Parts: sequence; C-alpha cells; structure tokens
Amino acid sequence: MKSLRYSLATLALIGTTHAAVAADNLEIIVPFAAGGATDIVARSFEPTFSQQLGVTSVVRNVAGASATVGTAEVANSEGNPNIIGYEPAGALTIQPSLKKLPYGPDSFTYICRTVSNPMFLMVSKASDITSFKQLVEESRDQPFLYGSSGPGTLPHLAMAATVVNSDLKAEHIPYSGSGPAMNALAGNEIQIMADTETILENYDLRPLAVFADHRVEGYDDVPTVEELGLPALDFAVWQGVVAPKGISDERARQYAEACKATVESDKFQSFADKAKAGIAYLGPDDFKAFVQKRFEANKQVLKDAGLAP
Amino acid sequence: MDVILAAVGDAFTWQALLAIVIGTWAGIIIGGLPGLGSVVGLTIFLPFTFGMDVITSMALLIGVYCGSVYGGSITAILINTPGTPQSAATVFDGYPMTQQGRVDEALGWATFASFFGGVLSCVLLIFCAPQLAKFAVNFGSIEVFALVCLAMLCIVGISRGSLLKGLVCGMMGFFFSMVGSDPITGADRFTFGTYALSSGLDLIPVVVGAFALSEVFVRFSARDEEATTIPEARLRFPSLREIGRRLVELLRGSFIGSFVGALPGTGAAAAAFISYAAAQKLSPRRANLGKGEPDGIIASESSNNAVTGSAFIPTLALGIPGDVVTAMMMGAMVIHGITPGVRLMADQAQTVYTLFVVLIIVNVAMLILSKPSIGLFRYLFKLPLGFVMGGIVMFSFIGAVSVRGNPLDLVVAALTGILAYVLRRSGYPLAPLVIGMVLGPALESSLRRGLLISRGDFLSFFTHSGIATTLFVLIGLFLIWTIVGGVIEWRAKVIRTRREASSAQPASEQGIMHDHH
Repeated sequence: MKSLRYSLATLALIGTTHAAVAADNLEIIVPFAAGGATDIVARSFEPTFSQQLGVTSVVRNVAGASATVGTAEVANSEGNPNIIGYEPAGALTIQPSLKKLPYGPDSFTYICRTVSNPMFLMVSKASDITSFKQLVEESRDQPFLYGSSGPGTLPHLAMAATVVNSDLKAEHIPYSGSGPAMNALAGNEIQIMADTETILENYDLRPLAVFADHRVEGYDDVPTVEELGLPALDFAVWQGVVAPKGISDERARQYAEACKATVESDKFQSFADKAKAGIAYLGPDDFKAFVQKRFEANKQVLKDAGLAP
Repeated sequence: MDVILAAVGDAFTWQALLAIVIGTWAGIIIGGLPGLGSVVGLTIFLPFTFGMDVITSMALLIGVYCGSVYGGSITAILINTPGTPQSAATVFDGYPMTQQGRVDEALGWATFASFFGGVLSCVLLIFCAPQLAKFAVNFGSIEVFALVCLAMLCIVGISRGSLLKGLVCGMMGFFFSMVGSDPITGADRFTFGTYALSSGLDLIPVVVGAFALSEVFVRFSARDEEATTIPEARLRFPSLREIGRRLVELLRGSFIGSFVGALPGTGAAAAAFISYAAAQKLSPRRANLGKGEPDGIIASESSNNAVTGSAFIPTLALGIPGDVVTAMMMGAMVIHGITPGVRLMADQAQTVYTLFVVLIIVNVAMLILSKPSIGLFRYLFKLPLGFVMGGIVMFSFIGAVSVRGNPLDLVVAALTGILAYVLRRSGYPLAPLVIGMVLGPALESSLRRGLLISRGDFLSFFTHSGIATTLFVLIGLFLIWTIVGGVIEWRAKVIRTRREASSAQPASEQGIMHDHH
C-alpha cells in the first residue's frame, strides 16, 4: 500500500513538472537522428530563433520511416502553440504521395523556407563521360545504374524524372544514404547520381546538368536540364519550418518574424556559408504555395515513373 | 614530419586532454549502462561541442565513442547484459568466466584487448588509410553480401545446446529487422496496416529487451538463489607471458576489426561477430569457447575497439561515414568548417594527424581510466539487488527511447524482454537473435542490390570479382569444415559408446538399456 502511495505521488509530481515546463518551452522537432545534415542546420537555426521569440527551446529528434514519424508528430499536435517542425523536402512533398500517412500538405501552418540547394546530375570524374548527350549515347548499348540515398528520396525522383523525360537508359539502385551511394559510385557499382553541391565538392565528381531554371553561380558551364532539351525539371534539397494547424494568427506571425530575422542574422549566415547551405528564405504564403507546387510536381513524377498510383 | 610534430602539439593542449579524460570516462560509464550506448553518448555530448574549437570537440566525441565501445563489456561480463550491442559477443565467454569466479581475469582481458585493438587500428589508420580506403571502395554490394554470409555462420558456433534452436532465434531476429520500410522499394511491409510500425524495429530496443530486461526477469524469478548475487568487480591485467601466449588472437581480432571498420555500412557489432566466428575456427583453444575462454573475450573486444579507429578511414579519406556514429562525428566536423572528403588529407593534413594522435591518447586514457570506472561499477553493484535491477530497467528504457524519440521503441523493448525471458526459460540462445537483427538488414539489402546490379543473375555473384570469389570459397570451406568436423565427432562418439557398451555388457544388461534412452 505504501509503495502504491509513493508511486502515485511520483506520478503526480512528474505530471506537474511537465505542465510547468510546457508553458514557455518551445519544442523543435527534427525528424532525423541527431548529427545528420538536417539536424545540424536545425541546431544552428535554433539558438537565434528562440532568442528572437524570447523562449527556451529544445531540439527533439524523432527519426524513422523517411522522416515521416517526426513530421506526423507535428501534424498531430493541432492547436499546440509550442511545437514546430524543422522539415526536409521529402517528408512534406514526396512521402504523402507514396504511402498512407496521418498528414498531407494541408496539415500544417507554413512558417518559412530557410535553405535550398539545387541538385546536379553527376558522374564520377574517373569516367570519360563529359556531357549529358554522351551519357545518353553510351546508355543505348548497356543501361547505366543510378544510385540514390534511398527509395522515394529527392536523388531518386530527380533521376526517375530524367529517365522518363529523356532517352537516357538507366535503372535505380537505392542505398541507405548519400555516403554509401558515393562509395558505390567510387567503386563503379553505379555510374550516375543526383545530389547537391556539398556532395559534388566533397567527392571526385563531374556535374553534367543542374536541375534548376537557371545556371548556378560557380558552375557557369553546367547547363540546366531545360537547355538539354528536357522539360524544366526543378529539384532542390530544401528545408523549412512548419507549425501544426490551429495555432493563432498572432503566434504564426511571431514565428514568421523570428524565422526571417534568424535567416538574416550574421550567425546563421556564416554557418550556412561554412556548411554550404544556400540560404533561400520564403515567407509563410510563398512557402505554402511552393510546397503545394512541389507536392503536385513530385506526385506527377512518381506517377510517370510508376512509383505511385 | 613537421606536420606530425605540430599535430602532437595541437593534441597536447590542456583543453584537448581535459576533453579526452571527461569524454572517455563518461563514455565508459554510458557504455556500461545497459541501453545507453555510443549513439546516446554522442547525442548527449554533441551540443556541448558547438562552442569548442575543432580539436577539443573531436577529442571529446572520440573519447565518448571509444569509451562507450569498451564500457559495454563491463556489464556484459558482470551481469550477462551487454551495455551496448557492440559488446554482445563479449557475453559468450565473459559471463561464464564470471560464474567461475574469474571476474578479474575477464575484465582484465576485455580492457587489454580493447586497448590493443584500438591502438593497432590507429597505427593502421596512420600508415595505410589511403590504401585501405581504396580497397574498401572495391567492396561493393555483392562483396558485402558474401562477407555477411560468412558472419552469419557464427550463429552455428554459438548455438551450443541445439543448432535448431539457434537458427530459430537467428531467423526471428532476421524477420524483426524486416518490419518497416522495404530498403529497395520503400513500401511498408509487415506493419499490419498500423502507421506506428512503419518506422520499423530499431536494434537498441531489441537488444535492451533481449539482454537487459530478460536478465532482470531471470534474476527476479530466481532471486533467492546463490547465482543471482553480482560478484565484486575487480580488474587484473594479464601478465606479459599470458599476452604472449594469446598474441595471435589479439592480432587476429584487431585486424578483422580494422578491416571491417573500414567498410561502409557494417559497424562494430558485426565486426565482433565476424571475429568471434573466426576464433571459433582458428583459436587453438576453440573447444573451450563459450564456456569461459579468454580468447572469446579477446576476439570480441579487440575487434570492436579496432573499429573505432578504422571507422575513420572511409570518413577521413573519402568523406563516407561507415556507420551512424561516424556520421555524427562527420556532422560535428562540418559544424567546425572541416568537410571530410577526398581533399581533406591534402588540405588539412595537420587536423587529420591531430585526430590520429587524439585517438591514440584516448586509448591510453581508456586503459588508465578502466580501473576507476570498474571501481564505480563495483560500488554501484554493491547496492541491494532490487536497486541495481531497478536502475537497469530505468536506463534500458531511457536508452531505448532516446535513440529515435519514438514511443514505439518502449513497447518493443518491453515485449522483447518478455519474449526473451520465455525463450531463455525454454533453452533458446538469445545471441543469434541479436546477430540476425544486426546482420539481417545488411544481408537483405546487399543481396537485393546485388541482384539488381547483376540483373537477376545470382550465379554471377560467385564470379563477380576476385574478392567475392575468395569470400564465397571461404564460406564453402567453413561449411565443409563444420560438416566434416561434425561427422568425425559423431563417429568418434559412436565408437566410444560402442566400446563402453561392449565393456559394460558382461557386467549388466541395464547399461545398454540406459544408453538407448
């Protein structure tokens, strides 16, 4: 009986501390494990952001199932003004078309887009292929293999869209991340990979095209896919902040202002510079429209490539 | 040479040394607590490093990493519960030694083997990182498949009681690892339509349930028995003569660990199992393995700590992190403006050499700090059994949930604990379950990727490359060896029984009757 009383008392105490903390603590959900590429940006975003809002915030990593578990947690916290998600592109604009999820693109209050990096189509520097045209030519005899950081990820979609919209013959081999895929590329297990500038700079890779509507600064001789006669394919690795639905307009405005100030702060800019994250701020309305547009475009790619009904 | 001297100077600043001592010590404690392992340790310390300079922060993280890989062996030996999955293979011989009253010897070997493996892999890292990295690149999906098949064979060796029971548990672990997203198509499978299961079953909650929680249940169900008291933790380092006698074992474990660590996507737990499998075939004292033989501890601990050094090879030479832990380290480096990749060695040679020096200091620190750490565990385990077990349950659940922050993992840990208790009571070995869980995903995805690459032709696996062919031949030899050995043993047994029977026959008929039972 005594032990029961103690347990009840403890439970009550645990309950009160939680309530007391929750009042002025902001929870930032990162849907990836600590230490990953998204997590690092989120953690350098967090201090300035919470300072701007005047609250204490905690980054919580909720990983799993292609970042949808953490994202679902944000979506399910409807009306909670003390939780936001630092989200990657895939969880918001690809996964909802791939599987049954407890959320869709309409389940959030959009706050801002923070960074965005265009993707390149790349081959190993060891190969003798120097242009997209040559790549297409050589794929006629023996189809190439392209890698990705996993099924249904942006590198996968970008290449799937390229294969559907051009004469390139290539098949998909998914890996458990960009690292293992790069290892496979170095060992010539795969020949093509689509990824960002960070990957391009870190490994011995040759860019053949960029998935953007204009040439990218610093890579002036790399043509856009549109110049190569393909439809204008736009694939970029971006991140943004979302809050659950049902929060007050006042709170949403506070978030948006804090985000804008953070992205413009020297501290975040110097970090982004070091981590090669291209700052690409979009406000709440633009971001919402952007996500909607990307969601529809990706859905079409998935449909064309036979990956989604 | 100037670079190396400058690097030594960078590593011997008071900030870096302090970070090494704190990191290593904290790592040992965190590794020793069941459930809390390398990933949790690094997650705790990662935010602290944001304000430090690059060498200090890497020193702290490397300390935590190496310390935690070693620390897992302490609880594996003392209470039959590996503190981290990497030390799961240490249990096989570590705990039997404890039961025989050889705790001091077991801990001594675990500590020394960890130190030896760690240092040897650092030396390899310094002298052959580029060559090893180049070799690792040639290790494609098909080669990884062959290597994992080889490692899977150790299930046979550790299923002493009954091979069938071992295989049942191995397959169980294998199928546990299949729940969640399909690695090739991304579709959900074995989720029974529930969203909660789509993130799959993580290794840590399963290990925590299978070892830590089931151990707690077993101890409580038999709490009045003598065997449930935890022996006092003491440490006795092996003498030079003993080391000399087992030097081959130390070297073999360290080289296997160094090699496996350099391959992307394998990791320390797999290395320990592969090394243990090798010891089962090659150790001169292999007959005693699994019954409390130091060679088993050496195989496991020298290889898993050798991974700590060589896991940096693909990270530093190619910018490709070998496992979750090195991926986190790479993240920490990026924060400080160092981008690992092909040009790192050329552009930032001094930083890279400083990291090598730090790695060696960490291993020395580990050796020195082992004694006070074990002292702490001795103090902790002197508490009444109820408190110790309560603490283990608490840390197990904290560890299980803190890996991904997913509440499902708590349920998984609890259910695995109950399942593991039932399995243990029915005489099923639990280690194959963990092996299946560790190697299953690698086996499946490398096989399916290999089939995609060879366009569905499995036979071409055997001739895909020299490395693949060699590995498959080794598997063949292992199988023949095991079967021939089994037949010889069986024949010897039959002859012995017959001889005994014929000598017993005149004395009494009942002897034979008894044999037929």
